[in-house]
Amino acid sequence: MSETHEALPEQKPWMTLVQRAGAPVVSVLVAIGIGSVIMWVSGYDAMAAFAALFKGSLGSPKALGDTLLRATPLMFTGLAVAYGFRAGLFNIGAEGQLFMGGLAAAYLGVALAGWPPALALPALLLGAMAAGAAWAFVPALLKARIGAHEVITTMMFTYIAKYIVSWLVVGPLKAPGQIPQTNMIGVSAQLPRIQSLFSDATLEALPFLRLGRGHMGIFVALFFAVAVWLVLKYTTLGYENRAVGYNPWASENAGISVPATIIKSLCISGALAGLAGAVEVMGVHHRIFDQFSSGFGFTGIAVALVAKNHPLGVIPAALLFGAMSAGSGTMQLEADVPQKIVLIIQALVIFLIAAESVVQWFIQKRQKEALARAR
Amino acid sequence: MLGDIITPDLFASALRMATPLALAAIGGTICERSGVVNIALEGIMLTGAFAGAAITLATGNPWVGVLAAVLAGVAIAAIHAFASINLRADQVVSGTGLNILALGLTGFLMERLYGHPGTTDPVKMIRPLFSLPKPPEGFVGEVLRWVEGVFLSHTPIVYAAIVIAVVAQWAMYKTRWGLRLRALGEHPKAADTVGISVYRGRWAAVLMSGALAGLAGANLVIEQVGSFTENMTNGRGFIALAANIFGRWTPAGSYLASLLFGFADALQIKLQMFRGQIDIPPQFFLMLPYVLTVIVLAGVIGRAVGPAAVGQPYEKG
Repeated sequence: MSETHEALPEQKPWMTLVQRAGAPVVSVLVAIGIGSVIMWVSGYDAMAAFAALFKGSLGSPKALGDTLLRATPLMFTGLAVAYGFRAGLFNIGAEGQLFMGGLAAAYLGVALAGWPPALALPALLLGAMAAGAAWAFVPALLKARIGAHEVITTMMFTYIAKYIVSWLVVGPLKAPGQIPQTNMIGVSAQLPRIQSLFSDATLEALPFLRLGRGHMGIFVALFFAVAVWLVLKYTTLGYENRAVGYNPWASENAGISVPATIIKSLCISGALAGLAGAVEVMGVHHRIFDQFSSGFGFTGIAVALVAKNHPLGVIPAALLFGAMSAGSGTMQLEADVPQKIVLIIQALVIFLIAAESVVQWFIQKRQKEALARAR
Repeated sequence: MLGDIITPDLFASALRMATPLALAAIGGTICERSGVVNIALEGIMLTGAFAGAAITLATGNPWVGVLAAVLAGVAIAAIHAFASINLRADQVVSGTGLNILALGLTGFLMERLYGHPGTTDPVKMIRPLFSLPKPPEGFVGEVLRWVEGVFLSHTPIVYAAIVIAVVAQWAMYKTRWGLRLRALGEHPKAADTVGISVYRGRWAAVLMSGALAGLAGANLVIEQVGSFTENMTNGRGFIALAANIFGRWTPAGSYLASLLFGFADALQIKLQMFRGQIDIPPQFFLMLPYVLTVIVLAGVIGRAVGPAAVGQPYEKG
């Protein structure tokens, strides 16, 4: 079919949204489709698996609370990866910065146990941001000064961070007892559960507020999503970040220091990833131990890609992967399908978005078909 | 105590530890020389390791396992080749997707086939190539003990890696294939103009890197560890990428750089045996290879320049 240059219908705002979100949504659907085929080929009941996945993520207020619980760190790691991507940097090591952020929060939460919440909560969050930023600083410096690829260096720093935490929880920071973990942080440094804000009478009247383990960290995450969006859109810092991502040579000519921007960008990315560790410590575990993150830093890559690196897009993307993560336990329990299928779907999403031209081609083909039908 | 640390065994262990890194690093070198970044080495190695274990368990023949590992590596690499060459995908992102896919797929299949996560049953391993007589006492015996211990105590893939490094080095600089390969990574347009197929050349290079990283996985499972454990590659694919850079994108350089990392790994394992005498937590030894990787990258990169067109998709004009 030859290309015809006919007038396209007028662009409406919702259409741009569809165009922007089209490729990620199609990628997610195709990935779920391939995941179903893998389950089917392996002899599992895919329908039962998805039913259980839905039940465990959205099927009840408690399940929804679990989804929010999982989405909270993913919003932070998604923002972290997206912020770096916008400057052309791939922070594959958000997991390591998350570990250091969690470590800082766990340490400060014990050290500042007597402080009132109004001081303790921001102190822990700031401490985690500083730790995450510090952990990204060396890779950032190596990238800016001598071009050492951040994918290798941040990955190496992730392994180092994990070993540091695994040493501290059996060594200097170990709580008394058999289990390798730190002491519990002070109550004033804990992020309260959402349902604890309401009286029993209110919960009785509005049972959908019984969000189980869902905690206030989700609001911190939403706040940061909006803040990062504003920074990228309206500040010089954000402008420089985007400019270097678009074209480092032109940016350098326009007087932007590319090395300085790289360092700032990766450190901000690290700070955001550090917050992911903080909310896990402050809202969920109240301490740190070896395996306290289930790969949130790596899932953050998928979140950022599905969001097309847009800070506000990170919100629905994190909720999506949070839901998958929350429901995967129920899926394993009730449909007997290994949880790893969620990891496979996540990987396929990343891969499909990287190879977006296929998806674009697919969408365009559908649009052409629709156009042909309309004619 | 130094005499207890510096033994033939330490150097033999360094050669062993270097082998999976070197195979993957040489694969990375070939791949990057053709202009394609292969971040997926980690995942390919892991998939190869799993395929090697599963097929060895199923057939009882470790050599069939090695073949399966190589083929599995080629299969994953084919996905990477299709995405980065034909679809002009972002190579680093697609490679990351494949790494996570390998983690998910091997874990999923592990539970499907064996009913539990974690580690497989022990597999039948490939024995060392030579069976050696016990050296006599005295000075001559001591020399023999070192020669046998360091050089003659290894399994076949350890020797294969050395041969591959030498052959690849020769091929890259002395054959028409090597010249063409390097042209693809430096200036694909020029290569295309003189009639070299960029797509075909890059496909071949990516598949070769898959085969080598798959073989690395086989070495890990069938010659070194004796079973498959989830995520057992533990960042070796990324260290291999660093070894490729440290080796300045040459096969021989990649092998020597891997030897350095292998030695660091062997040393940290050896030192852990002296934990009673050295008051340093084991985690500090375990992080040594990763710290060394960062130091090496920090030290050499400014002076090492990669292929000009690496990471850039080529569009036929």
